[in-house]
Amino acid sequence: MVGGIDPNLKQLKFLIIEDEAGLRQNIADYLNGDGNICECCGSLKCAIGKLSDYVYDCVLLDIGLPDGEGFAVLDFLRNNMRNESVLIISAKGSLDDKIKALNIGADDYLTKPFHLAELKARVEAVYRRKTFSSNNIIIFNEISVDLHGRSVDINGVSLTLTRKEFDMLLYFIANKGKVISKNAIAEHLWGDEMDVHDHYDFIYTHIKNLRKKLMDANCNDYIKSLYGIGYKFTA
Amino acid sequence: MKLSDHYNKASIITTISVLLAGGVIYFFAIIYISRLQLDRDLTEEIDELKEYIGGNNRLPTQVDFDEDVTTFTKTDQTTFKRRYFDTAYINPKEKKNEEGRAVEDLIFFNGQHYKVIISESREGTEYLVQIIALITLALMIGLLVALFLINRYLLRDLWKPFYNILSELKAFNISEPTDFNLQDNKVDEFAELNQAVQIMSERIKDDFLHLKHLTENASHEMMTPLAVITTKLDTLIQDESLNPAHYDLINDIYTASGKLLRLNQTMLLLVKIENNLIEGNEVLRLDNLIREKLVQFQELLNTKHITVTEKLEGKEILASKYLVDILLNNLFSNAIRHNTPNGRQYITLTPGKLIIKNTGSQNALHAETIFDRFQKGSQSDGTGLGLTIVKNICNLYNWKVNYYFDQSLHTFEIVF
Repeated sequence: MVGGIDPNLKQLKFLIIEDEAGLRQNIADYLNGDGNICECCGSLKCAIGKLSDYVYDCVLLDIGLPDGEGFAVLDFLRNNMRNESVLIISAKGSLDDKIKALNIGADDYLTKPFHLAELKARVEAVYRRKTFSSNNIIIFNEISVDLHGRSVDINGVSLTLTRKEFDMLLYFIANKGKVISKNAIAEHLWGDEMDVHDHYDFIYTHIKNLRKKLMDANCNDYIKSLYGIGYKFTA
Repeated sequence: MKLSDHYNKASIITTISVLLAGGVIYFFAIIYISRLQLDRDLTEEIDELKEYIGGNNRLPTQVDFDEDVTTFTKTDQTTFKRRYFDTAYINPKEKKNEEGRAVEDLIFFNGQHYKVIISESREGTEYLVQIIALITLALMIGLLVALFLINRYLLRDLWKPFYNILSELKAFNISEPTDFNLQDNKVDEFAELNQAVQIMSERIKDDFLHLKHLTENASHEMMTPLAVITTKLDTLIQDESLNPAHYDLINDIYTASGKLLRLNQTMLLLVKIENNLIEGNEVLRLDNLIREKLVQFQELLNTKHITVTEKLEGKEILASKYLVDILLNNLFSNAIRHNTPNGRQYITLTPGKLIIKNTGSQNALHAETIFDRFQKGSQSDGTGLGLTIVKNICNLYNWKVNYYFDQSLHTFEIVF
């Protein structure tokens, strides 16, 4: 996150292991935006090589690689007692694969296709969970979010949010400065429970409510609506 | 009818008919042979009689004939052909009527022709026939009992490997990695069958695995380009020089790629359901799941101002939670999406049925085609696979799903 504002999160070092060059570059660009450092690999061999030489904060791992299954990276990390948090990004959405990956040391599992905003939120959640299990407070200017207690303070005054508003605020903070599409928000809030196109109206309602609550608590208006496409949370 | 019963029937019918035919032939053969023997005896008697008359020059008395009864009658006939015939025989000692055999011939003595009849008891041969018939009958019964026992115990034992293979085949599940538990067999045919079944199952499992991998790979291959589209769009919208017209275009692409994704996921789910690849059945309280689902859909219901009337009785089902969740999602979201604003929805759960009714368009849908793939209304934004999935999930658990249009309500009914 932004250095200086959130003392818990420094600049992070990522290793992106993904054989699809276009996807790899997009992820790197998106994550780099916060001053993080991203390195990329397109194969298992390259990944093991980099992991042998350098230490990373977080590894984004595709399971289907041209020279083998990404599970080998998890094995490597576990055998070498490494601390990197691992987020699997795989096209294989089957439950077996998820369970297998989580059992051998992955921290989270994201099924392709995904929105970059979702990826960013997950990566931060995974990293935070692994690193600061005791101190789970995110601070953004006057907003302070307690992840454990699921509560929000504005200038030290507690604010009551619904579950969806809370999730949305967290999602915005994780992706501050970025335009987040309505699709990405809908998928984040409702998952694939229901068809996404039913929910655009709700997003509007939820955001309107969240914005009103924040402003009533004397918080700055950080949420900008971008015509038709989505929202941007920006200081 | 079991194979052993078929075999029993055939073997018993054959045995009985062969034995009966044999018995009859036997019976007549013995009668014929014994008659020949008697006739030969009688011929000897006649010859002895002629010798006796030639030697002693007198007619013999009854005593000389032992048990044979001889009568002489004077006659004027000069020629006569010797004849043998069946007659009654009176045992001279026991004064008893018996079946007999007699010979009639003409002899010449002291210038006088005599007709002589010698009769002999047939009782001995009758007795023989009876004994033989009894033995045949006893043999027949013995054979039947033996056949029955053999069929019952030996055959059952012999066929045991077959039933073993059969039960293994019945328990065969293509998605389970376990192999057949087939015992070695001394019978060549069963050993061969074992081998054939083993080879076949391995080949099927192999093919199946390939197919499974193919669908998974296909999904992988499609998901990656979809992921590229999504992330490129996510990156594109960061560009501050875009104008609202661009946003509209991008929105349309988002929507289309989202639809493609849902279609792909749904097709994969269908393949999985059809191949029974979803595991993890558990006992679920359907009424509780429906209540949870209603909470989940509350927002959507409120937005359209739909009134829900529910009447839920306790109902337990054994199914995969994942699939039941999809089933309820599809039924509920249909009932909401195709509902009219300020419409109504009725949910009724009884131990035998789940009925979901909703208001909507005034026209009934085609009950025959509504569950087919890619059947959807002209206003529907869905994939056209939602109800196909509902139907397939119901089929998987042997439930029946019906649609009907009743009192202006679109009604979906699942019969457990």
